[in-house]
Amino acid sequence: MNATACYFENAMAQESTEIARGLRRRDPDLLDRLIEQYQHRLLRYLMYLTGRRELAEDLFQETWIRVLERGHQFNDKYAFSTWLFAVARNLAIDHMRRKQPASLDGLLNDGEAPLDVPATGQASAFDMALRREQNEHIAAGMQHLAAEYREALVLRFQEGMSLAEIASVARVPLGTVKSRIYRGLSELEPWLKGAPL
Amino acid sequence: MKTDAHERARKLIALEGPEALSGADQTWLAAHVETCASCRAFADNAAEMIHGLRAIPIAAERSLVSTTQMMVRRRALELQRDRERLWLVSVSCTAVTLFALLSAVALWRGFEWLGARAQLASSVWQVGFLVFCVMPALVAGILLLAKDTHLANHTGSYEG
Repeated sequence: MNATACYFENAMAQESTEIARGLRRRDPDLLDRLIEQYQHRLLRYLMYLTGRRELAEDLFQETWIRVLERGHQFNDKYAFSTWLFAVARNLAIDHMRRKQPASLDGLLNDGEAPLDVPATGQASAFDMALRREQNEHIAAGMQHLAAEYREALVLRFQEGMSLAEIASVARVPLGTVKSRIYRGLSELEPWLKGAPL
Repeated sequence: MKTDAHERARKLIALEGPEALSGADQTWLAAHVETCASCRAFADNAAEMIHGLRAIPIAAERSLVSTTQMMVRRRALELQRDRERLWLVSVSCTAVTLFALLSAVALWRGFEWLGARAQLASSVWQVGFLVFCVMPALVAGILLLAKDTHLANHTGSYEG
């Protein structure tokens, strides 16, 4: 078990080192590969962070340009995804500051349409409809959460990040991350069966 | 049962995952959930929410990815050109500095020789050397200033 964990840890460290080396060289082939690899995860994170697909797509492009320009700042002691999400988060905050001087809270809750949730899976029509409805409820609920709660939930349950990694991306203490996840889930709970009255 | 216990249980449920919960926490939580219907319901709902969150598919469109890749490549090329230009400027600056140093020494000697031939006081040929060295920069400065003033006046006449 330990040997397996050690193997994966070494493989990840080696991958981070290779990425760091490539970023320092501004290797366009490496960047192409990284864009392919992280396309869905990064866009999903930005969409939940901003609540708008159009803005998320703009920030998606800006993030990769920033990765190219500041690639030499990536520390290979950490996972690339953690650094990538931190870059994207900073850009989103910068964008909001330009728009109106506010914190991450300003990213959301301004009457935007809920996220568009496409149909999923190969289940029966009824299951699909049920699943889709539930996903829509959750997506709608997410739109009504404070941005920091939504971010914590996305990083934890969609990206599968550890609490320490989330703390590193959001630049908050571990206790705050735990509290945000708990509060986020608590506030999302009433949305599970539909919009609360 | 104390409210604190429920809150603690819910916090632990929300943090699901072995890296977040110690063995003691997991044992305590299992025992609590066994006896508390409301926390059990929260655990079920949390599991459903987490499942729902993981099931929401958001995909980047192919066009977004290819446009981004193209933008990144273009920017990489720009940065590469900037770096090459900077390198060229650095090399030119170094060459100019070296040439200026060498020519200054040669000129100094030349002025010294001329001063001796013309039997001038050393302060005179030294001032001459200084004027000779400063003159090109002075002329260039005056020309640039005149050009800027001319342009400013010209633009002003269009705006006015």
